Amino acid sequence: MRCWSGGLKACAARVARVVPPFGAACVATLVIVAAACGSQGQVSDDVFTPAHRSFGSAARDYFNIRPTAQQPIPFPHKTHLAKGAECTDCHETVERGPVAGIPSVKTCMVCHSQIATNRPLIKEVTAYSDKGIDIPWQRVYGFSQEAHVRFNHAPHIRAKVECATCHGDMKQQTVAERKVDHTMGFCVNCHRQNNASNDCLTCHF
Amino acid sequence: MDRRNFIKLTAVTGTGAALASCGNPEHQLIRFVPDEEITPGLAEWKPSICPVCGAGCGVNVRVMDADISTVRNGQPGVVRMNVAKKLEGLATDPISRGGLCARGQAAIQLTYHPDRVAQPMKRTGARGSGSFAPVAWDEAIAELAAKVDGLDDKKALAIVMRPRRGSRQALFAEFARRVGAPAPVAYELFADDVLRQANGATYGKAQRATYDLAKARYVISFGADFLGTWGSVVAQNAAFGDMRQGRRGVRGKLVQVEARMTTTGASADEWVPTRPGTEGVLALALAGKYTPADAEKITGVPAKKIERLAKELAEQKPALAIVGGPALAHTNALFTAMAVNELNAALAGDLVGFTPNGSAMAAPGAQPFQHLANARVLLVDEANPAYDTPPAWKVREALERIPFIASFGSFVDDTSAYADLILPDHSFLESWVDATPESGSLDAKTTAVGPAMKPIHDTRATADVLIAVAGKLKAPIELPWKTAEEVAKSSQPPAAGRPPSATGRQAPAWNEPAFDGSASDFPFHFLPYASPAFGDGSTAHLPWLQELPDPLTSAMWSSWVEINPKTAEKMGIADGDLVDVTSSQGTLRAPAVVFPGIAPDIVAMPVGQGHEHFTRYASKRGANAVRLLAPITEQETGALAWAATRVRIARAGDGDGSLILFAGEKYEKPHEREIR
Repeated sequence: MRCWSGGLKACAARVARVVPPFGAACVATLVIVAAACGSQGQVSDDVFTPAHRSFGSAARDYFNIRPTAQQPIPFPHKTHLAKGAECTDCHETVERGPVAGIPSVKTCMVCHSQIATNRPLIKEVTAYSDKGIDIPWQRVYGFSQEAHVRFNHAPHIRAKVECATCHGDMKQQTVAERKVDHTMGFCVNCHRQNNASNDCLTCHF
Repeated sequence: MDRRNFIKLTAVTGTGAALASCGNPEHQLIRFVPDEEITPGLAEWKPSICPVCGAGCGVNVRVMDADISTVRNGQPGVVRMNVAKKLEGLATDPISRGGLCARGQAAIQLTYHPDRVAQPMKRTGARGSGSFAPVAWDEAIAELAAKVDGLDDKKALAIVMRPRRGSRQALFAEFARRVGAPAPVAYELFADDVLRQANGATYGKAQRATYDLAKARYVISFGADFLGTWGSVVAQNAAFGDMRQGRRGVRGKLVQVEARMTTTGASADEWVPTRPGTEGVLALALAGKYTPADAEKITGVPAKKIERLAKELAEQKPALAIVGGPALAHTNALFTAMAVNELNAALAGDLVGFTPNGSAMAAPGAQPFQHLANARVLLVDEANPAYDTPPAWKVREALERIPFIASFGSFVDDTSAYADLILPDHSFLESWVDATPESGSLDAKTTAVGPAMKPIHDTRATADVLIAVAGKLKAPIELPWKTAEEVAKSSQPPAAGRPPSATGRQAPAWNEPAFDGSASDFPFHFLPYASPAFGDGSTAHLPWLQELPDPLTSAMWSSWVEINPKTAEKMGIADGDLVDVTSSQGTLRAPAVVFPGIAPDIVAMPVGQGHEHFTRYASKRGANAVRLLAPITEQETGALAWAATRVRIARAGDGDGSLILFAGEKYEKPHEREIR
């Protein structure tokens, strides 16, 4: 359970039990965080800096708070999986490299140039493809910058870890949602059970 | 075949999505569909060839996916491309052997430079103002073809370029030949044409030599900064490493004969200054052709030292003599070069070899830009003569008068600022490149290799542009190649030749070096030296090189004048003080660096800064040492004697902060050595 679930009151109560002096500070942070989501602020393009734009932005990154992804097209995973598609048919590079990859609209058009072309959503997909613009999918899974984790899919695929283990049963989902919480404990438990390395540098480098 | 396998055959991977921007899809950048197969996060290493100097080192390019800003159909957005991220030396390359110098490392900035010319440009403002506006490729090619057609006398088409041993020179030469124009002029400031001529006379090979440093036990270098800026630097560094550490118990000895300490001098075991232009006499003395006493009178090197060096050379075999740099930039340079060849013959070390690579490049000879006075169309490729020529050659004046100038460069520099049309080439990482190195390895090799990445801007390979222009002429010309790829692959493999034998020709007789300016009016010798960061100025626009501290003085982002400490003390000049340096050609002002490693009657300046135009990082920064050079030439070959100008200096004021030093003090107890 995430530490901030149950709302601010529950969080404050929890934290106050553990570290009384920090309780107030933590609550204050979360108030700022909650309020700050609406203000994006423009970053000047002139100077490169890894610093966050605002305290709110930094805090959100630290706690890995992200707004729920809003997908431009409600892609139904369960429909496609029911038709016999495999995860790797679209998330191709997962066997080769670190990142599973989100398919380009070209992949969609492989089938949908022929299939269900009269459906309104398919027409939207086709419109993107005709304009040469990739569908602006929003990222669902990912570690925060603060975690300094460099995750590589390929060894997990080689170890025959099922996609559903970390990403949930997509046969039940339309648009992808974060059904599984990628805390460090989640990773370490599985690594322990499967005799995979638990050295810090395996993931944090 | 079922649906699943069909997808597996034809699907193209796309991108990795960006993290959600606060949930609102409207805040996301437009992302275009990628044009190539992308495996996110997986790097590939591809070979290429560094273009920065003539060595032709093989580089290994790390290529990985990245977002590249682009505009399609008037809409700005990003597209995922596999692009170069880092350059390293290519381990299997016989020249670089896995190493890469600082300039090669910085060469990746040629691709991503913010001021790169991203599309063809047409001049809008006055000539030389540097103001341009974008124009379409078809229009640019048509205009260039029209201008060439518009010439009644095709001899008025001039081409200037930089000497490179690859297909590029052949391409322009063939284009000129078929159009009926004169052959292109290949010029660079720090060319070693005198050395090539001497090697031609001595060895029958008019090319740079390759030195087997790894086998040497004694190396004496007359002015050649072979570990810093001269010759095939990376190869020479690797071989020098072998000399020092490749044999158990053998370290070898390096003696550097020069008036200003270079990086090589800093690695040397002994440093011997001679009077400028007398290095050849020292060489002949070591070869037994001059008595030490006579040589001391001419060179200023004590007779006892000459005797000792001669003895060491005879005892520590095999020994090698190298000559280059300022020693060959005097009016008697051919004598000096032949004298050193003579010394090598006497030492019989058998360490001087030649890469069997066929013909030499024609040296431009005296006054290479005289023909610009009659030119009506000028093509400029990789050359910057408005910057790196003596003012007396009046290149800028000629450029102002030529009716039409087209440049193929990727940047607006001092010369292309005069252009009417810029047809930007790809950067080397986006091009078919080839090289036939002249020296650095005794294994002859021609390399041709394809682009490491697709172009990120609307640029075109110059070969493709020339081929298109040739085809668009009223009397269309069919060049022997159809594409840039064919041009690169057509580079001739080297012809196997006989190994050279010394012909034993005597060196020409000693003649005193001449200098521009009398010793009374101009008491100092002026030494404009090749900068370890900028060479002859061609890489001054790369910020990584601007921020590279000079190895000897630690200065960066600046121009400076190096002055001997005793001289500085006499004139009341301290680090950072502004000095005026005056030759017969004019005056420049730069901050001083008090430099212990320079003879008292010499002042030195690195070449490379002082560009009028050269992107945001180099424009109007520092002073151009070349503007002080008199048009004094080597008497046999006509090559520019760039070390033969004399100057006077005067303190012009307190420092204005323009000198930036990376390191702090030069001396162990600085407070004991206050100058003022």
